[in-house]
Amino acid sequence: MGSPFDINGGACVAMVGKDCVAIACDLRLGMQALTISNNFPKIFNYAPSTYLGLTGLATDVNTVSDLFRYKVNMYRLREERHISPRPWPTCPVLAGINQTTGKPFICGFDSIGCIDFAKDFIVSGTASDQLFGTCEGLWEPDLGPEDLFETISQALLSAVDRDALSGWGAQVYIIEKDKVTQRLLKGRQD
Amino acid sequence: MTSLMDHQARETVGYSFSESTAGVKQHGFYPYTDNGGSTLGITGSDFAILAGDTRSTSGYNINSRMVPKVFKIGGDDETGEGANIILSVVGFAADGTALKERLDTVVKMYKYQHGKPMSVSACAQRLSTILYQKRFFPYYVHAILAGLDEEGKGALYSYDPVGSYEREQCRAAGAAASLIMPFLDNQVNFKNQYIPGSGEGHALVAKKPEPLPLETVKGLVRDAFTSAVERHIEVGDNLQMVIITKAGIEEVYHPLKKD
Amino acid sequence: MDHFPGTWGRPRNDVYGAYDPSYLQSTGPKTHTTSPAVTGTSVVGVKFNGGVALATDNLASYGSLARFTDTKRLRVFGDQAVVGFGGDVSDMQYLDRLLESIDIRENYSSHGNMLNAKNLHTYLAKVFYKRRSEFNPLWNHVLVAGFDGEGKPFLSSADLLGTTFSAPHLATGFGAHLAVPILRRLFPEEKPIEEISREEAVDALKQCLKVLFYRDARSLDKYSIAVITKEGIDLKEDEQLEGQSWAFAERIKGYGAQTV
Repeated sequence: MGSPFDINGGACVAMVGKDCVAIACDLRLGMQALTISNNFPKIFNYAPSTYLGLTGLATDVNTVSDLFRYKVNMYRLREERHISPRPWPTCPVLAGINQTTGKPFICGFDSIGCIDFAKDFIVSGTASDQLFGTCEGLWEPDLGPEDLFETISQALLSAVDRDALSGWGAQVYIIEKDKVTQRLLKGRQD
Repeated sequence: MTSLMDHQARETVGYSFSESTAGVKQHGFYPYTDNGGSTLGITGSDFAILAGDTRSTSGYNINSRMVPKVFKIGGDDETGEGANIILSVVGFAADGTALKERLDTVVKMYKYQHGKPMSVSACAQRLSTILYQKRFFPYYVHAILAGLDEEGKGALYSYDPVGSYEREQCRAAGAAASLIMPFLDNQVNFKNQYIPGSGEGHALVAKKPEPLPLETVKGLVRDAFTSAVERHIEVGDNLQMVIITKAGIEEVYHPLKKD
Repeated sequence: MDHFPGTWGRPRNDVYGAYDPSYLQSTGPKTHTTSPAVTGTSVVGVKFNGGVALATDNLASYGSLARFTDTKRLRVFGDQAVVGFGGDVSDMQYLDRLLESIDIRENYSSHGNMLNAKNLHTYLAKVFYKRRSEFNPLWNHVLVAGFDGEGKPFLSSADLLGTTFSAPHLATGFGAHLAVPILRRLFPEEKPIEEISREEAVDALKQCLKVLFYRDARSLDKYSIAVITKEGIDLKEDEQLEGQSWAFAERIKGYGAQTV
């Protein structure tokens, strides 16, 4: 049996643009080499412009996303306001725009909570090596929403095509101050 | 799951002292090591490029900042003058050197015996045979062979350690291959790129790969390596680029980050 | 008088029990070196303007035992090359005999000794690679110092796997961790070796050996140093590390069971 991180497969990436951020994931759910589903999104929405991408063991993706939804709901009831993107010690990739400051924010975590604040991009999942290569090659500072969408999509699709455990379509969120665009990418089905 | 349970079953009482009675301890000799680094090859309509970084590592140590991985094959003297084939090797450096010297000798012998230089396709087949002859004690290297084919077009062949080979437009090998290869798919073979406005859904027309001009390819090679250096510790120091055209072989070095 | 010559020189049966003849057997599986026995530690080398300097300490260890304290680990080849050996001492002595025989053969040949340090390094690397490919390695890591075919200073490394590399300064074993950073700081690699004097090079090697003596438990303060220039080889084999300062030692606290 392999590492729990590699059983179900999956990839996630977030990028910063000019007054916007993007977060994208693939749609595959597998059991080792066998694909179970091609509709398993790994990005979850917790508040306006606060998105969380989770990769790794699928059961923990579900558990953490549910637990996080519970915690966020409790926060909203207690504080009587929406939660803003800031580090939480349970989430692998976080992307959003701070509603008060309007600043784009992304960060990543390892599974035991080490935070990685990045000014450019965050990658995670079984295709992380490939994503590091494509993002480092394609990303540039101050991309507008449309250019950022194209960049993150090309980076994700090309990366997952070189990873046997990721792919089968992708989902992309472009997050601006007061607008979120969700797009579904077909991608190779193999 | 089985491995977890096996572990449980094998769990015994732990002693604070070593178990000297539990059989003879064998210290094996492992004949391989990984010297890190990465290589990359791209072809165009009338040229081929092989590139590699010049760092040599063992573990977390940098052995040297100047150990080239791309070699001229079948040249007339030590400088490789007169060669028309180039080879890059990455992996276990001692095997790489041995392989390079064997192929160099073979190509030289061919020239002396037949009175003409060996074609790239023939050399490619021969390299596969050399690698496969050591199928059960392999040369632990990823080789890329390049030159110009009979029509003068860029030719590039990539190999696995036991001799499987294929002619390709581009290939990355070595430590940062997984970082560079998807970037090349996208930028050289235009994978996942479509012609804007050509249609919706299945009607969308994919952008066809076409041979790129030399300057574009040089730029992609440098981008690929500066990206790899940023995210892989075994890649760095200098970029060696060897360009083969009908005018001959040009070799250039560019500095890379040394951290 | 014992009339059986076969028992002469053997332990007495009445004292030590019946002699076990299996010790004399020449049959059985062929065995190879799978770990070194008596070993030498680091070799350090640096190029300078007009030559190369190479140094080792004079210790041969048997595991953690400092077994031989006057072992010469720098071997001169011809009049323009020196090999510094780290690793197994018996394999070093085998290689020394091998190089000696080559040197004699070269000197008896009509053209005289033609092998420079670069040729010697290539040869040694191929011996190492051949032996590792036979799964019978020579358990050494060596530095070869001298001049190449163009008369330029040459310094290169070869190890038991046949791996080779060259750099303006090199060190084997523990020295790869402790000495190389010192040498890289003193002589940055972008600085041409023409700007490094012989004295600077020798001082740097002494500094490296001192740091190695402080921190490498398998090292010694008696050392050998060779300086190879066009004028010849200046080899000193019975040197003592000068100017040691153990003042730092009393400030080291907090390891193991130490409480004060």
